[in-house]
Amino acid sequence: MRRGLSLLALLLVWEGLALLGLLNPLYVPAPHRVAQVLADLFSEGTLWPHLQATFSAAIFGLVLGLLIGGVLGLLAALVPWVAELLEPVMLLLNAVPRVILAPLLVIWFGIGLASKVALSLILVSVLLFFAVYSGVREVDPRLIERIRTLGGGRWVLLREVYLPSVCSWVLSQLKVAVGFAFTGAVVGEFVAASRGLGYLLSFAQSTFNAALSLALISLIVAFVLFLFTLFERLEQRLLAWKPQASR
Amino acid sequence: MLKVERLTLGYGVTPVLEGVALEVAPGEFVSLVGPSGSGKSSLLRAIVGLVTPQTGQIIRGLELEEIGFLFQDDALLPWRTARQNVALGLCIHGVPRKEALEEAEAWLVKLGLSGLSDRFPYQLSGGQRKRVALAQVLALKPRLLLMDEPFASLDAILRTQLTRDLLSWVEGEGVSVLLVTNDLEEALSLSDRIYLLSKGPRAVLRRSYAVPFARPRDPVGVRADPRFGRLLGELWKDLEEVVLCGAA
Repeated sequence: MRRGLSLLALLLVWEGLALLGLLNPLYVPAPHRVAQVLADLFSEGTLWPHLQATFSAAIFGLVLGLLIGGVLGLLAALVPWVAELLEPVMLLLNAVPRVILAPLLVIWFGIGLASKVALSLILVSVLLFFAVYSGVREVDPRLIERIRTLGGGRWVLLREVYLPSVCSWVLSQLKVAVGFAFTGAVVGEFVAASRGLGYLLSFAQSTFNAALSLALISLIVAFVLFLFTLFERLEQRLLAWKPQASR
Repeated sequence: MLKVERLTLGYGVTPVLEGVALEVAPGEFVSLVGPSGSGKSSLLRAIVGLVTPQTGQIIRGLELEEIGFLFQDDALLPWRTARQNVALGLCIHGVPRKEALEEAEAWLVKLGLSGLSDRFPYQLSGGQRKRVALAQVLALKPRLLLMDEPFASLDAILRTQLTRDLLSWVEGEGVSVLLVTNDLEEALSLSDRIYLLSKGPRAVLRRSYAVPFARPRDPVGVRADPRFGRLLGELWKDLEEVVLCGAA
């Protein structure tokens, strides 16, 4: 609530300064101008193909990244030689800003959807790899002993200890993953594309259109925030067993 | 019930525990005391197969499923409620889910946790978690109970209450117990026999004591017995010797 108010206050000050003519509308257009541009984008229908492009790239990247990262993380946690093989690569990928791969991916996969999916997939899968990998490896050994002394075998251990432990790691990373998926899609489009929000952003830049730029930024922020809240709800439901502070 | 012969335990060249032999008869309450690092916990773990001995034998006169293990910490599954945690053991032992949950509920009530069965471990106090862990083990009706300083982290009042509840259950059911503890008074007030281990590494069994108090026994009242003080003094003296001897 307080955060909402401070945002509103910022917008009001901004609008006020613009009204007083203190802000150059070329650089910092007033909020109502930005809102107008945004409304036009929707009403003229020019936005839809771009939205569709970005969303498909982000969703495909997210789903594939979760799958690939999850499977690789699991394999690495269970099979030692896979871990030896993958860990250095993943650590490297984790250490560098992965968006620097974008130009290369465009060379490999062209300016279409594939290069954007590839970028957001890489962003997401590295994240997920470590979530699953550490989820399995950092299972509380005391819990394993407990289950074993209660007579539980491998299957019980998997279902009662490993799976919930991994799930909690993965869930806590899911929100970040959504953000990453969109970053990948938009940056990919920014580098080279014929459609997408990233493409529009780059178009706004080359035509010196700050209003369009801000409109797109607020649009992307709104989408990501929406998905964030969605996943937060999911997390709260599924992680009811965690104390609030550590969630 | 349980017989341990010439047991050597450890990792690497220097064993923690060497050539230890001990026995728990049916219905007997046995305590294992000794300085920390003497391998007491490892011994318990070896009995249930969590640790493989280097040499020696562990002869169990009962099935593994008939052994209950109460650990020092109360690591319950954090993602399961108290009731589900208790039911889990029953489910593993083949009780159908619904019945297991009902039985778990009954055990929680019996241990003074009515109304708390739908709480997650983080919503329970330390003492309550301990009771849940206890319910989890007792629900499986063990014939031999292994306990590794089970109440060490609790305050004196809770500890006394829990110990008393546990003892009356053990005496009622005729369960055998092997208790690892650092608390000589606790060992003396509960046991029929006490084994003293020397300081590790290469800890050996130093002495065993027969505890003469009758059963059923009040673990608090028994401390007023003049023999209690005498035995305690003897135990202390031996333990001190053991610790100093290891240090030299």
